Amino acid sequence: MRYKEYNVNSVLEKSIKLFWENGFRGCSINEIVNVTGVNRFSLYHEFENKEGILYASLNLYRDRYCQEKLDYLKKEGDLPDILKEFYISFIDESNAIPGCYFIHIATELADKDEKIRTIVDTYLSEVESMINTLLQRNGISSESSSFLKRHLLGLYCTAMSFCLIHTKEQREKHVDTGIKVILKNYG
Amino acid sequence: MARELSYSYNQLIEKAQEIFWIHGFKGTSVKELAEHVGVSTSTIYNKYSKEMLFMDSLDYYTSNYSDPFLMQLRESTEGLESLKAFFFAIIEALLNKSFPKSCLMVNTVVEMRNENRDIINIYENYFRTLTDSYKVVLSKAFALGQIKDEKSIDTYAEFLLGIIFSLSILYKIKPKEELQAYIYEQLDFIQ
Repeated sequence: MRYKEYNVNSVLEKSIKLFWENGFRGCSINEIVNVTGVNRFSLYHEFENKEGILYASLNLYRDRYCQEKLDYLKKEGDLPDILKEFYISFIDESNAIPGCYFIHIATELADKDEKIRTIVDTYLSEVESMINTLLQRNGISSESSSFLKRHLLGLYCTAMSFCLIHTKEQREKHVDTGIKVILKNYG
Repeated sequence: MARELSYSYNQLIEKAQEIFWIHGFKGTSVKELAEHVGVSTSTIYNKYSKEMLFMDSLDYYTSNYSDPFLMQLRESTEGLESLKAFFFAIIEALLNKSFPKSCLMVNTVVEMRNENRDIINIYENYFRTLTDSYKVVLSKAFALGQIKDEKSIDTYAEFLLGIIFSLSILYKIKPKEELQAYIYEQLDFIQ
């Protein structure tokens, strides 16, 4: 077998940046070739097509960037604080690109591409289930957590999309308000 | 010789916003845009520019879709019931298969973020109108006794601001019943 002269993950990292900035439809395979320095033949051999690169890039993003943020939900401490820390970890300016790549791609493609819909659904279900575990660990009954988790996931979707354009203070205010209203009866 | 435009600029924008709505600003090439609105690419480059058509498309969207919709909400009289009807209408619009597009403003926010000051101005205005509309309805809800504390109106308006954004993602993934349950429960948080 031919020795692979390029690093798959590095190709995916560069593709994430491209898709994030220009949208999936807004960038061509030529641009990916230029940016990654890997020729078209090798890219198609590895990923089959441009969609294949996108699917693989979402997996890499999940493992490299989301894991450490999802781990916030496993921490011990004040419930609203933990949730806030979790949301802010995605929209904080210290991220190379603030926000969530899944939500970003979902906005463009989840109604057009069935596989993307499934990938995003799997990710969001994972987030929802971790929130559920967190709520129950904090003494909230399973009956209550089963609907609270939906709304905290909704807040996640909102924070990842519209908070991007607001100032840091406005984002934090929206996240704070959301947590406060949703958990109002579960202080 | 360049082809003469056989219809008005407004009709041109009406066509242009359709394709921007589906593919976004970056996802629509000048070639596709030209084909969709029925002019040559050189007309787009020389006479209008893609940016100009996009900005006017956003304008067309707010004045033809979101403004009338929000006006109706502000004039409603049933408080939280009117809000529920408003959000249910949004779900219907999102799930309408002949018209499968989420809010152009939300798509634009996600796509363009901090890149263009003019766009930021447009959606800042949009958010302000949205927030004000929610406050008007919430004040009516307070007058109807559906909300206990008048001071919480601002907090609830901020809270409601999120619904359109979360729906714009969730409708692509969740079934209709779940979306409706989501709205019921969101409004239950308002007391």
